[in-house]
Amino acid sequence: MDQTKQEEEYGYDLFPERNSPKYKKGSFAENLFTFNHKCQIMLQVATDTSPYAKLLLSAMKSSGCKIFKDRHFSCEDCDGTVSGGFDAASSQIVLCQNNIHQQSHMTRVVTHELIHAFDHCRAHVDWFNNYRHLACSEIRAANLSGDCSFSNEVARLNFGLKEHHQECVRGRALRSILAVRKISRVEAEKIVDEVFDTCFNDHAPFGRIPHSNKDAKFANREYESRDRYYANL
Amino acid sequence: MPPRVCDDYWSEFRHCKSLWNRFHHYYTHGTSPSCKQWKVDYRNCSEWEKHKTTEAKEALQASERCRVAEQRKFPPVWNLRKDPPRDWNLPLNQGKPQD
Repeated sequence: MDQTKQEEEYGYDLFPERNSPKYKKGSFAENLFTFNHKCQIMLQVATDTSPYAKLLLSAMKSSGCKIFKDRHFSCEDCDGTVSGGFDAASSQIVLCQNNIHQQSHMTRVVTHELIHAFDHCRAHVDWFNNYRHLACSEIRAANLSGDCSFSNEVARLNFGLKEHHQECVRGRALRSILAVRKISRVEAEKIVDEVFDTCFNDHAPFGRIPHSNKDAKFANREYESRDRYYANL
Repeated sequence: MPPRVCDDYWSEFRHCKSLWNRFHHYYTHGTSPSCKQWKVDYRNCSEWEKHKTTEAKEALQASERCRVAEQRKFPPVWNLRKDPPRDWNLPLNQGKPQD
């Protein structure tokens, strides 16, 4: 009973395969009855080709948290409409194979979750007890992953222009918190407001808000020459 | 040597001025981006490289230090780690009950 309560409190109920996978990993049944194989392929494409993902993977390696695909990524069936998650307890990024069907979506989810993993790696983030920490990482992930790009918002029928990006980031961070923690909307809004300025302006490791692959490539270039940069300031 | 390859300053300037970037800046901040500094930095960078001018070097360094300071303006919400998490690479325990 205690475990169930804790599962709900921390959002683990959205990821039912975390504790009890339905099919044995690598089994024929898993391949036949789930989108596992497709998920693995899309993940590979994302990490090989996306400048967002490549920068985050580099940054994590430099921070001492090298990512091993087999260890740190897990394609699973998830509940509802959630696309992915970062499980700090096992240091794993969960990708919801039953909810991600397009490469662009996969790339975005991988980037989003890698930002959480990067925060976990470089800071003492208290994911379970400190809502300000959780909110901060969600703001950063919504801000920097392309979640709130103009085209993605239009696709969601959210039409806005002037400073709409910030509105979207606030909204998505709020949604993410409410999905995994049992607090009131009012309380969650207050927490997001408290940390918004700091976290919206924390662009690590990109150094800017990347709005496109071109921005991300510029950010990569900057990141790769950071040693020369800091040595000559 | 300059903090960046001089051509990088020019390409950042061109990128900053592009319609795409101006649109995204408005979408994010509600204003037009200010791109002038990249052009100034490019001039100073070229000046430093070609003629080793002290003023150009100092101006460029000041400009870059300002950029770094901008990125660090707000006090962080969390404490940074000195070392990565110890359990990052620990093997997974399938079926282990949650703590």
